[in-house]
Amino acid sequence: MFDFLVQRAAISVVTLFVISLIVFTGVRMIPGDPARVMAGSEADEAGLEEVRQKYGLGDPIAFQYLRWLGLAGRFDLGESIRTRESVVKIVASKLPITIELAFLSLLVAVGIAIPAGVLAAVRRNTVWDVLTSGASLGGVSIPNFWLGIMLILFFSVRLGWLPASGFVPLWESPLANLQRMLMPAFVLGTALAAVLMRQTRNSMIEVMSADYIRTAYSKGLAGRVVVFRHAIRNSLIPVVTILGLQMGALMSGAVVTEQIFVVPGFGRLIVEAVFTRDYPLVQGVVLITASSYVLINLLVDVSYSLLDPRIRVRGAASDA
Amino acid sequence: MPSAAATADALEPTRSLAPAGGLRRAWRQARRRPASAIGAVVVVLFVALALGAPWITSIDPLQTDWKQIRKAPTLAHPFGTDDLGRDNFARVVWGSRISMQAGVFSILLAIAVGVPTGLIAGFYRGGLDQAIMRLTDAWLAFPFLILAIGLVTIMGPSLTNATVAIGLGATPTFIRLTRGLVLAKASEDYVLGARALGAGDLRLMSRHILPNIVSSLLVQATISIPIAVIAEAVLSFLGLGVQPPAPSWGTMLNTAQQFLDTAPWMAWWPGLAIFTLTLSFNLAGDGLRDLLDPRDY
Repeated sequence: MFDFLVQRAAISVVTLFVISLIVFTGVRMIPGDPARVMAGSEADEAGLEEVRQKYGLGDPIAFQYLRWLGLAGRFDLGESIRTRESVVKIVASKLPITIELAFLSLLVAVGIAIPAGVLAAVRRNTVWDVLTSGASLGGVSIPNFWLGIMLILFFSVRLGWLPASGFVPLWESPLANLQRMLMPAFVLGTALAAVLMRQTRNSMIEVMSADYIRTAYSKGLAGRVVVFRHAIRNSLIPVVTILGLQMGALMSGAVVTEQIFVVPGFGRLIVEAVFTRDYPLVQGVVLITASSYVLINLLVDVSYSLLDPRIRVRGAASDA
Repeated sequence: MPSAAATADALEPTRSLAPAGGLRRAWRQARRRPASAIGAVVVVLFVALALGAPWITSIDPLQTDWKQIRKAPTLAHPFGTDDLGRDNFARVVWGSRISMQAGVFSILLAIAVGVPTGLIAGFYRGGLDQAIMRLTDAWLAFPFLILAIGLVTIMGPSLTNATVAIGLGATPTFIRLTRGLVLAKASEDYVLGARALGAGDLRLMSRHILPNIVSSLLVQATISIPIAVIAEAVLSFLGLGVQPPAPSWGTMLNTAQQFLDTAPWMAWWPGLAIFTLTLSFNLAGDGLRDLLDPRDY
């Protein structure tokens, strides 16, 4: 058990290290003087000198990397070229909005995918199954930004039920906030639901053919009890891993969704940063996103190696 | 029910692949999976649309007309016109070229980089394999779009750069898949036998392992292409891909968003085109997977 955790954590540390190398190299590949890249085109000679000093730009490249890594380790990712605020502070102010969006879309996704997936598996090869598979295929194929535009067209422009865009902080008016978050959360949630539905169905089918389910049936338990008490619980374990792996897709989706519905979160931040050539901000956002993806998946793995002892045995055996 | 017919189907691939027999076989498969067959036909239609764009519409997709601004669909302009009076039908047709180009070439790039790398990692194992896999893990940790945005920031926005960015984003999937498949095949008897007969590494990889994993790679490609098509549309929608005035479905949707209340048709067609193309690819891909890769997904 302990060995598994150590091994899993060690791999994550190596991954984080490689990520930092990729990001560092990426920023250095931007054409032009690195000091100019980090300080912006409007910086004067003093500003450039300050950046050169801070990142040791006169030193050999390996030292520069270590110095940059040291700063990043202390949560110093530099300052935004445009606003002169610290990158970490900007990200921290935008993150709660995207987390709220992600959380709501998770609710939408799980709310659609798990009942539908279970229904498709229990009523396998019936019209329900076909409908669910069709919906799932459609959900994977529909570009979510187009779905967003169509929802705006229908619910905002045509019917006038929901505001097309904008954002109201949750603490100012929870109702206005939810009104504006409903469509973005639905758009982001359905994309995730399509993937989760398929996974739930497959894993539920596998569980339903297990011996202990047959035992439960032969004990005379009602079908409903077998499905809800025995099958669903066990079939959800692989679904949780997929959920962890889908976090990356969720972050990508948030970028587009926030852009369409003008939600001032993390995703809109990165697009704005690219357009204003705010390289320190782009670098910070990319680094933070990739690192959090690794940490989330480490947490997912660890949390359910605690829940399901089979995983750590099998995992340790196959990783070796 | 699983009688003689099913057995015959199971034995199918071992029969000769004479052209006439091949056609009949394809027809039988198509009848068994009508949705996949329709998907495949639509994909072929889109390819024809992309290749034959100049013959399908005689209207120049870049031609502006100030008298025809944001006109609803009519006979002359079946998909209406856009904010500069350009014909939306011509733009959707020409847009298929850009989408296909980005979708296919990016995945070809991913295959060109990913498959040899995965082959080497899986074949030689050891330290090199570990190094490649850690790099792949790290690469996969960047969400697809975030990685593409990062790369486009470095390289500048254009169709070529978007294609490269999407291709590089899809590469780790192909490295992982190839490596896994090679690991499974390398210990098979026919590979061991060939090695015992004195076949070199290169020959083992190219003649004995690669042909046996091609079908799984092909299936992965049909899954990846629609994702790449959407990725190009998204990048162009965000202004990080194809630059105006070139007719990309993504850029068209970006413009359309500003005129939703006055010219909603501008948003219908490009989106419908992306949806139809990706849905057809996914349907055709499902069929291909059943055909080539009998494992149950």
